[in-house]
Parts: sequence; structure tokens; C-alpha cells
Amino acid sequence: MPNLVDQHLSRRTVLRGLGASISLPLLDAMLPRAALGAPSQYRPLEKSHGVHPRMICCYVPNGVNITEWMPTGEGLGYEMSPTLQVLKAHRKDFTVISGLGHPASKGGHSGADTWLTGADLAAVPGSDYANSVSADQIVAQVHGKQTRFPSLQLSDTSGTGSAGHSHTLSFDRSGTPLPAEDSPQRLFDRLFVPDTTADRAATLRRYAEKKSILDSVLSEANALHKNLGSTDQKKLDQYLTSVRETEQRVRRLEAWIDIPKPNIESRTLQLNSQPHNAHDRPMWIDVMLEIAYLAFLTDTTRVISFEWSREAGGFGGGGENHHQLSHHGGDAEMLKGLGIIDRFHLERLGRFIEFLKSTADGDGNMLDHTLVLYGSGMNSGKRGDHSPKNLPTIIAGGQKLGIKQGQHLKFDEEKHPPFSNLLLSLVQMMGVETDSFRDSKSTLTGLS
Amino acid sequence: MPVSNFTPLIVVALLLVDGRAEPVAWTNLLDKLDTEKQAVQGSWRLTGGELIVDAEEGARLALPYQPPQEYDFEITFTRHTGEHSIALIFTTGSGQATFEIDAWSQHLAGFQLVAGRTIRENKTRANNQRLVNGRKYTLLLQVRKTRVKATVDGKLVSTYEGNGSDLSISGLWRLPDVGSLGLGAWSSSTSFHSVRVQALAGAAETKVAADRPKPASPITTERKLNGFLNVIGERVKEASDNLEKSLATIQERVNVETPSPLQLSSDEGHEKIAVPFFKKHCIRCHGPEKRKGKFRVDQDLPNDFTNLQAKEKWSEVVNVLNSHEMPPEDEPQPKTEDVAMVVDWITGQMSRAELHRRDSAIVLRRLNRAEYQNTIRDFIGIDFDPSGFPQDPPAGGFDNNGGALTLSPLLLELYYKSARKILDHALVEGNKPPSLRWRFEPETGDSDSNRVEYDSHRVIVNGGKNRVENGFKVMHHENWDRGLNARDYAMPYEGDYIIRIRAAGRVPPREDVVRAARGFLEHRMNEQMKKDPAGERWLREQFDRDLKHFQSDRMYDYGSPRLKLIQNLGGTPRVIAEFDIDARLDKPVVYEVQARFTTERAGLTIRYAYDIPKELENFWMQGHDDFARPELWVDWFEIEGPIHPAWPPESHSRILFESNKRFQDRRAYARDVIERFMRRAYRRPVTEAEVITKLALYDNASRNTSSLIEAIKTPLTAVLVSPHFLFLAEPLKAGTPLNDHQLASRLSFFLWSTTPDGELLRLAEAGSLKQGKDLETQVDRMLKDQHSRAFVTNFAGQWLGLREVGGNPPAQDLYPRYDRHLEISIVKESEAFFGEILRNDLSVMNFIKSDFVVINARLARFYGIAGIDGDAFRPVPVESNIHRGGVVTQASVLSITSNGTRTSPVKRGTWVMKNLLGIDPGLPVANAGEIAPMVPGIDKATVRQRLEIHRSLPQCARCHNKIDPLGFALENYNAAGEWREQEGFAYKGRIDRDDPVINPSSSLPDGTKIVGVAGLQEAILKKEDLFLQCLAGKMLTYALGRELGIADRVHVKGAVEHMKQNGRTLRALIKFIVSSEPFRSK
Repeated sequence: MPNLVDQHLSRRTVLRGLGASISLPLLDAMLPRAALGAPSQYRPLEKSHGVHPRMICCYVPNGVNITEWMPTGEGLGYEMSPTLQVLKAHRKDFTVISGLGHPASKGGHSGADTWLTGADLAAVPGSDYANSVSADQIVAQVHGKQTRFPSLQLSDTSGTGSAGHSHTLSFDRSGTPLPAEDSPQRLFDRLFVPDTTADRAATLRRYAEKKSILDSVLSEANALHKNLGSTDQKKLDQYLTSVRETEQRVRRLEAWIDIPKPNIESRTLQLNSQPHNAHDRPMWIDVMLEIAYLAFLTDTTRVISFEWSREAGGFGGGGENHHQLSHHGGDAEMLKGLGIIDRFHLERLGRFIEFLKSTADGDGNMLDHTLVLYGSGMNSGKRGDHSPKNLPTIIAGGQKLGIKQGQHLKFDEEKHPPFSNLLLSLVQMMGVETDSFRDSKSTLTGLS
Repeated sequence: MPVSNFTPLIVVALLLVDGRAEPVAWTNLLDKLDTEKQAVQGSWRLTGGELIVDAEEGARLALPYQPPQEYDFEITFTRHTGEHSIALIFTTGSGQATFEIDAWSQHLAGFQLVAGRTIRENKTRANNQRLVNGRKYTLLLQVRKTRVKATVDGKLVSTYEGNGSDLSISGLWRLPDVGSLGLGAWSSSTSFHSVRVQALAGAAETKVAADRPKPASPITTERKLNGFLNVIGERVKEASDNLEKSLATIQERVNVETPSPLQLSSDEGHEKIAVPFFKKHCIRCHGPEKRKGKFRVDQDLPNDFTNLQAKEKWSEVVNVLNSHEMPPEDEPQPKTEDVAMVVDWITGQMSRAELHRRDSAIVLRRLNRAEYQNTIRDFIGIDFDPSGFPQDPPAGGFDNNGGALTLSPLLLELYYKSARKILDHALVEGNKPPSLRWRFEPETGDSDSNRVEYDSHRVIVNGGKNRVENGFKVMHHENWDRGLNARDYAMPYEGDYIIRIRAAGRVPPREDVVRAARGFLEHRMNEQMKKDPAGERWLREQFDRDLKHFQSDRMYDYGSPRLKLIQNLGGTPRVIAEFDIDARLDKPVVYEVQARFTTERAGLTIRYAYDIPKELENFWMQGHDDFARPELWVDWFEIEGPIHPAWPPESHSRILFESNKRFQDRRAYARDVIERFMRRAYRRPVTEAEVITKLALYDNASRNTSSLIEAIKTPLTAVLVSPHFLFLAEPLKAGTPLNDHQLASRLSFFLWSTTPDGELLRLAEAGSLKQGKDLETQVDRMLKDQHSRAFVTNFAGQWLGLREVGGNPPAQDLYPRYDRHLEISIVKESEAFFGEILRNDLSVMNFIKSDFVVINARLARFYGIAGIDGDAFRPVPVESNIHRGGVVTQASVLSITSNGTRTSPVKRGTWVMKNLLGIDPGLPVANAGEIAPMVPGIDKATVRQRLEIHRSLPQCARCHNKIDPLGFALENYNAAGEWREQEGFAYKGRIDRDDPVINPSSSLPDGTKIVGVAGLQEAILKKEDLFLQCLAGKMLTYALGRELGIADRVHVKGAVEHMKQNGRTLRALIKFIVSSEPFRSK
């Protein structure tokens, strides 16, 4: 045995380094079973805190088994496909839309980057990647001022992901991705747990201090800006914008200081569910949607984007490798597996719709005032093609915002009508005054 | 690089070729320029001998010079911003006009107005004349009686034929005097480095002509040349230094064949390749007659690949040709070679345009996550976990690209919060918090009901369902009820704690494994025989077969048991350590791990982490206690802390250093603290003004608190969210040399991914870092230092794609040998291999093929190498029959280039091309689809066969003939990177006796036959230059934090030459890079 002292020293360094560099996905599978939860017992609440328009955009990666997804017939009398049967109970509350696509998208696994933006990622000279504002953020610009959080970004992996493999669906006005949250606990704390126990005066002092710090760095940055070349200036503009927006946030916090966060009972919420744990998968999606539901109900926010799994990742309720199945190459067995995942996802969606429906919202229910957009930014096609045409899409709810529900709106996929038409319609229904979004040609025919 | 110096030479040469007259003398027009008087529009000024103009529409200036009839007018300039034209206003005959470049937002060059027509409409129009900002150009107008020639960087761009009578000047550029020369820069901030004219011999109103006798007879070419040489000779005498440099520069340029960006598109290729093809195959439907799909090949495809719309259309052409969509099936089909030629030309033009589009300036670079973490560690002295920060998007293969790194309000918010947290952690108030030490004896209970009290915390101590021997818990295998827990408590103080585990391991020898397995197998056989006595013979055969598995499979050459330590904080579990327990039972060892605890609810769990692949023969017995496998014996584990080797901790005294001032003049002390902090944070000296603004924050904060520490946190927080800290700010003009401090930062972030240390800063302070010698010494010192590990993980990790390991791992059921320990090991192997080559100055050709591997015991077992113990990585010589040595044989590379269920020769081929040969094979056609899982008619279709069917279309084969052979050569490695002779088709991918034998032979497009990995390695070794260029290019990209453009080729080539002359080491490459011009200038 070598010298123990030496060994200890070196081992300690090695181990310390290891702790930081380990990636997490595999280890969660090794949790003791006793610690794992059962299906969520959470139940919807009776009524909302107030009637407001709301919008949630739910993204599933890797497309769907399109052969079992596509309904037959059109309009109100269409016939549900095997996969859509899962939502049978909600037939009157959703519309399935086929044939839309993103003409500027190149296909493949960058669908989450462009699903809500419709951007041509390669459009800016000298830049490998340039995105543009997402539809949800356009809505947030209008509604965000009235709520504690202008919008929320949820995802199965915190952060922004990388260019072309976004972990968030939301992009701000300059096309910068807005980092998403994957932990139900952190999300819940942010929305519903009081910030600090400190008294009002101390909190205000903290805000004032923060503003003074931001002021100081802002003037520093402005001085630096003058001495920079133009490309550097553009880069620093991001910083300047961020500082200004952070200042606005502090002001917003000041405005909210006397309004307590809503008090929400968390006992039956399974806040410890882990996104990458195969066993937790259903519970994790459910609890994230439950928090989304609570955020809407309490008017904590009106705009949410939720990437259920990142592109080229994700798995089904039983831990199936979603990405692998999407490369089915037309294989019947793999397509079957993909269909199972699709139905698993729609069950989760159905449960969320049920929550919204069961909660009174003024003279109707929450679903009537909530746009629930659900779909994927790619189509794995009949042969596993990964195409940006005929994106699988469902729009649920929002009947009081003007949507005519219960139909199959069918468009000719070969004509590649822009998905942005749908986004434009939704943005307008949310009360944004605009007559175009990205490459939209008009609002979506037949939706209202 | 003295680019401007070679201009005179070119001028001379051109003049002589033109054969009109001999040069006389240049007049520098900037000498007597009075910008105030001469500016017509815009803000013009002379600084350091250069004429500078800010971006403004119509910015122009008249030059104090009335030219003769024939003259040369020459400027050198750099456009810094903007995308509009630079104009030379000149006169000839009776006319005044402009020559413009990068005009009309269409990158045109030419003369205007000619007969009242703009460049767009007249004959002098030249396309694709785009200026790259930040680059220096030389523009020469040769004005003669009957024509005017415009030359850019020595290349003729446009000619006006005429005597000037049809020329006029546009109102946009008009000067007060129609007879004078002038300059213009439309909305572009521009520096004019030189502006000069020379009147010509023989021209009117020049006195010089009389001084030199004109040749009496017509000049022959030879005499012209002699004259030229004479002129050169004279000039060499006059300015030999400069000229030598110029020649060297020209020589260099010629060698590297750097095309001028203004010569971007090949008109020849367009005319000879694209146009005839279109005429033959497309124009009938997509031409003037039919215009199908509203698309005309003769109109909608301008030969300008820098134009995005055009590029879009061209790429659609590639797509439809490659995917066989066009021409339609019922039309005559073009020959494959013809399609190939067109497609290659188009894609070639696209990638050239792409390179030219790139800005060669290094964009203001934000610290990425790793750099932020390391900087905080080295500057403040605490470990900070940045995993809550958004991931940094990579570009050009690396995540330190200034252009790609963004900043969002959320990230700024995170920087703010982190700064607070870091300072709260670093600066302490009050007395040292008491330390606690709790030792958990896991044998005291094996359920959650076992509560043990520690300092009035009732902690659950659960030793799991593990047997107890000699007071040790013996962990035999992993199961949900077999962990050791101590949980349901909260630490009274946040801080760093030490976790100690006293443990040992027992590793059963092979005989024990076979004996145990025999017991299981016999028992099963007997049971089965009772049920089915007639099957005895078959059952005995199966028994023998299965037993042989335990006797022969190398997975039972067990290594030390392995332990995984999980910290649970606030409900979130996190593995904080995973390591081998190499102590033997007779000498247990106390293992230590350090971790940070908050005051949230906490827990610690120890798990057994030695994986035995679950295979058909063992899966049903390996979780049984009687099965022989490495045992992990744990005596106790304990937690101690918070630990503070000093009080106040070092992080505290680094910031709040000892000083008498502290008590005499608190504000003066605060000022000093702030200044010292800022210098380290900003990595440079700071000005008094900068300090004062931060001191104001301190003053402000002091009004609300009596605590110095609380008040000082405010300015220090501001420093940590300042752009000067978060960005590597280099407020310089593009192309100017960095100062010593900026260079110190570049160097430090390149080799250490962190802020410069004291020594670098001292050298920067002394101003000696820029000197070559100090720079080299520093590189040697830095590479020797532990911090250079960051270079290995960040550079090698991204070059080789190690961060992708585990992203799409080999499926557990198909590749049971790929376990967690292996996954960690294969990443470390590639890093350690790189480190070995770096630190020992081995030739980088070892990356292609080496006669050694750098492995630990886990990998030795996986690769089939005997006699390696322990988890440490060390170099081990290998024979060729092991089939390992070089990056393409490493399981990391082999697994990331597979798709989880099978190998992917396409991915492997692409990987080799991109990462070793530096060739981008391009994107696949849209909707290419997946290779078929099954092939009708072939019972056991190998991946290779399936792929060959998939690419039976000649259009696919065109690219895949380049890519796939490289991948086929690696087919002997399965998707987990294990060596195999056959492709398995039996249950869960196992290999049956008659399964197809791997065919690893293939032909490269040039006809070279290669067989297997050895053949591939030989083939790459022969392309040494390609590999060296690829490696040099990658490292230069990483060092600069930007993608490379055309202009960088010369440096890449230079680096390759330098490596070749210096043992082909990474050190040589690094030294070349740090002394190269792009690294040393903004």
C-alpha cells in the first residue's frame, strides 16, 4: 500500500473535482424506490382568483407517430385518430390542426428553437445562429405588467441549452433565449413562497441598494461603450439592455412589495419529482402542469412556455428512449413505441385540461379563457424524416377568447402554410394589436 | 504585419505592365491637409498621420490637389463599421466622377456616373466587391487619357474606357471644386492610412519628365523588365528593410494562395459549370418560357453567394439535385458526375462565402461558466457552483466564442445573486462558528426508525439490509434497500464540511466466482431436471456453456469495490463523489470528501457502485448474496464542520487585508480595499475615477449600517457584475496590438480558463509580457501548473466531443458492459491521453496512432489489457493485437459516434473528417430519412449493408463515398467501443457463431484501399498536413474565442510549419499561437 498521507491528499483533490463535473441523469435511476412517489393526488381548486386571458405553450420533442396521429375528415365532423382518442372526453374543447409548418426551419432537432419564433436561424450574416422574439414574449409584453411574473419558462433541463438544441421555447426581443426552470421545488418557491422574512423597510433598502449598484455598472458600461468598435458595442448592448430590464424588475418588485404572494398549500404537490428519473416522469410532468395551473389560477402570470423534453432527448412514461424511436425509419415496432409515448403525453395534457375545466372562472371555467397550445416543432414522418412540415399541433381551450373548438383544421402540407399564421391568431386573441408575426401571411383560416 | 509596405511594389509592377510611363514620385496628400477647411460633409480628423472619418451619410472631403492629365491616385484604408461604399472622387479630361467600392448595398464596384448611369446600370459594374470591416485595403486609380483602371490590392477590378467627357459626379458626392480630387465614406467609420498621388512622366504640367530621358525607341518587354528591375534595385537601396519585408509578405501571400475577398466568386466556374448544366437540364421549365414554380434559373440565381437570398436559392438547388427531385423522373436524367460537379461547385462557393462573411475581429467576450467558476476560485478563493447558470452556447466547436456568448436579463440577475452569495461566503463577521463532528455507525439499525441523537438533532441512521461483520456493514450489491443513510437533519451553519468514510474492500478471486456460479447453476440444473428428466443432456450442455462464461469472461477479473456518495440538500439529491475503495480488509482506510452544506434539510447516502454487466448467464444470480462479487465494507462515516483552517478565512483576509488604516481612517481603508479588489477583478490597473464611483456606493451603504463588512459588500458586488469583470474588455480598434494586461488575460484564459495570476499581472505591470522571451517562459510555466488541466478539459473535451459522452449512451440491454464507471473512465481516458501528449511533449501524431494507451483498471478490463490495478490513469504500452492507441480507438469517440443501439459509420466518418482532417462534409439532404432497420431478402443485414442500400442513389453516394469508408474501417468497434469480430444478431445483440463477420475494408474516393482501424490510421498519417492544419485551426479558434476566416489561413499554415520544425508538439503549437498576430491584437 502506498503512503497513506500522500494518497489522501491526492484523493481529496480528485474527489472534489469529481463532484463538480458529474452529470446527473444516470444517478437518479439509483434512488431507493421507497423515496419515489405514486401518481399525483393533487386535485383542482374550486375557482380562480380572477378572469384573465392566459396562454400556455407545451412542447413535445421528436415529433409524433404521425400515422397514428393524423385524424381523418375535416371540420367538426372529423374522425379522431387512435392517438387523439386519448382526449376523447375533451373533444369539444380542442382542435387538431394539420399541415402547418415552419418554412424557414431546416428540420431536424432544432424544432424547439423555432417553434414559437418561426425564425430562420441562419439569416444573419456572420452569425451561426440568430433567433428572434417568440410569440409568448410578444404576449408577455402586453400582459406582463399586470402580474408578478411577466412570463414563466419551464423545461426538463434548466437553462437555455445550446444554439440549435434549445432547452427553452422563449426568446426575448433581441432573440436571446430565456433560461427555463426544471425543478418543481424551485419553481414553486419562486411563485408562492415569500421572498424573505425581513421587514418591509429592510426589503426596500435592499432594492434601493440593488438599484444603486445597477446604476453604477450602467454608467460604467456606457463609458466603455464609447470606446468600443461596433461589433463589441452590439455585444455590450445586450448587457446594457439586461441591466435596464433588471432595474425595471426591481421596480416591479417594489410595486409588488405590499402584495403578498398567494398562499398555496403544497402538501400534495410532488415537488421533489425529478425530470430525468424514468419513474418520476409522469409525476414530474404533472406537477409542473399543476404549478402552471396554480400560476394561472392565482394570476401570478398569464404566459407560460413549457418544453416537456429537449429535442433529441426525452423519454416515455416507462423510460422508453423517445429520440431513438423517432428515428423509426418506418419500422412498425418502433412506430408503435412512439405512439405509446404520444398517448402518454396526451394523457398528461388531458389531465391539465381537466384541471382548467373543473375550475370556475367568472361565469365559465378557466379553460375558456386559456389558450393551450400543444405540439412539436418537427415531424418524424412516415419514415423518420425529421421534417419541419405538417407539425403535429393541438390547440385547446380559449373558447371565450374566440376559438371555435372541436374541429380538425386541415391544411395542405405540400404548400407549407406557415405555423406563424396560428401564432398570429393566438397573439391577437390574447389582445396584442398586431397584424403580422414573423412569416405569417394572415391569421389562421377557420380557427375563429 | 507590414501589409501596406508592399503596395509600392505592386504599383510599380502594374505601371510597367501597362507600359505607359514610368513612375515619378508620390505626393502624400495628408501632409498638408486641413480637415476643417476641406471637409465637405461629416466629421474628418487627422490623428497619428491617419485620416479618420466617422460614420455619416455622404461624408466626403476635398483633397488639396489639382491633378494633371495622367496620374495615379492611391489610398490605403480600413473600414471599421458600416456596409456602404468608399469612394475616390477623381477627375479626368473634362469630367469628375467617383470610383466606388461595396456600393449600392449590393457589394458593387465601378465608376459613376457614366453617361448619367449609375454603377448598377453602366458597363464598369463589378459584382461581389465586398469590403470586410477591419481589414486594410489598397485602392489604386490609374488615370490615363483614354481610360481609368481601378485596382484593389493589386487586382484589377474595373476599367472605364473614355476620355472623361461622359463622366459626371452624383449630387451625393459633389465637391465645391469640379477640378479637385476627394474621398468619400458613406455611413462608414473609416481610417485612411495613406492618400497619395503621383503625376506621370509625359503628362502635361509635370516637371519631372524633363529630368529623365525618355527611351527613343519602343520599349521591348525585356527592356521594360530591366527597367523595372532597375527601379526595384534603386528602391531596394533606398529602403531595403521595408522592401524585404514587403517581398516576404508577398511571398507569403503567394504561398498560401489567399484569394482576395474581392475576387470571391468564380465567374469562370459559374460560366463553365453551372450555366451549361442549367441550360441542358433546367431552363426549359425554369426559364423565360415556362417559369415553373415562379423560378427561373437564369434570373433567380445570381452568382453572388454572399447574398443571403441568393444563397438560399442555391442551397435549394443542391437539395433538389441531391434528393433526386429534379429533374423530374420523366425528364432525361443528368449524369451523376455532372450533378456532382455542379453541387460541388455550389457548396464550394457557399463555404467560401461563409468564410468571407466572418468578421475577423474578436468580439467582446463574456466569461463562460467554467471561466467564471475558475476566476472566482482563484480570485476570491472559494468554490462556486455555476451549474444554475444557463449553458453557454458553443460556436465553431467551442463555448468560449465571444460572438455566440449572450447575456440575458436573467443571467444578469444570476450574476447579481451570485456576487452577493460569493461575498457573503467570502467575508465573515463575528467569531468562528463552532464545529461539529457527528459519526454515524450504520450497523446500529437497518430501518428509518433508527433515530440517533447528535447535538439534539434526531438523525435517521439506516444501515440498510446489509449484513454486519466485525462492526462493518458489508455492501454486496446495489438495491433500493441496501444504501447507508444518515438523514433528516439540518446543519446549524452553512459552510464546508468534511465527510469521512472508514471503509475497505474484499475482491473475490476468480475461483470464488466460478465456485459460487457453479452452485447456482447446479441448483438450477437439478431443479429443471426434476421437471424435465428427458432434457438432461441439453441441460448439462447448457450448464457447461454457462459455467464456461464464468471461467472465461474477463468481467470477473474484478477490480476494487466502488462507492458512491450522495448528498441530499433541500430535497435535491446530488452525487458528490464516486470512487474505488482500494483498501484491503486488514487495513481499512478513512476516505475524505469535502462538500458544502446549507442549513436546508440534509442527508447523506452511501451506495454500492460496482456494476457487473447484466448478462443472460448472470442476471438472475448476481443480485444474490451468495454470488461472489466485490464487497464494500463500511465501518462508519462522519461529517465534520464547518471547517475553517483559519479564522477569518483566507477569502476574507484576501479582500480585507491587514492595515492600520482600517482603524485610523475607515473610509481610506475602504477605498484601498475597493481599488485592490477592482484591479484583480478587472485584470488591469484602474483609474481614480473608477474607484471613486465605487467608493460612492460604499458611502451610500455606510449610511444604513455601522458594519464595514456590510457596507463594503455593496461596491464589491457592483465590481462583480461590472462589464469589466464579466467581459474580457479590449477597448481597442480592430487590428491594434493588445496592451500587456490584455495580453495577460488572453494568455490566462487560453491556457488556464481563469483570471491571470500574480506573476502574469506583475509581468504585465512591468510591461515585459509582450516580449517574446517572457511570453515563452510563461507558456512553459503555465503548462506545468495544475491550472492547465482546464485547458485539457475545455480544449480537448470540446475538440474530441467528450462533453457528448453519455448524451445518447449505448442502450443498457444491448451493451451491458457500458456502465457508469466506464462512462466516467472513457472521458478521463481521452483527457489523460491528451494530457500525456501535452506534458511530455510527444508528437501530436500520437493522436492518430500511438503505441500506448492511458487507462485505469476499468478500461483495462474493457479493452482486454491485463495487469492494471486501480482507478488512476497511467500510460500503458500496447501491442497491435489490442487494437488500441490513438483517439479513433478510444471508447469515448467510438460511443459518441454511435446512436445508442448500433454503430453509425456515417457519424464516425463525419467525425474523422471534421475533427481530424478538418473537412466539413456538409449537411445531409433534408428529409434523408433513417436507414432501414430490416432489409427484405437479407436475413442478417449488417449496419454496413443497410447503409449501402440506403445510399444506393448516386447523389447520396457522392458524399457518402467520402464519409462512409472512414467509418467502415471502424466497424470492428461496437456502439460502446468494444472490439468485435462479428456483428451480433442473437438475443439482445449477442454474437452467434454464424453471425456475419465484420468487413472493415473500404476504398477512399482516391482509390486508396484501407483495411480496418490500422489501415485508417495509416491513411490519416499520410495526410499529416491536413491533420496538423485541423488541430492548429481548432486550437487557434479556441485561443481567440472566435471562428476563423480566410485571413487566418496564413496563421494556421504558419503554425503547421512551426510544429513540423519543433517536434510536432502541442507546446510548439501553443507557443506559435500566443506569439501570432491575431492572438496579440484586437
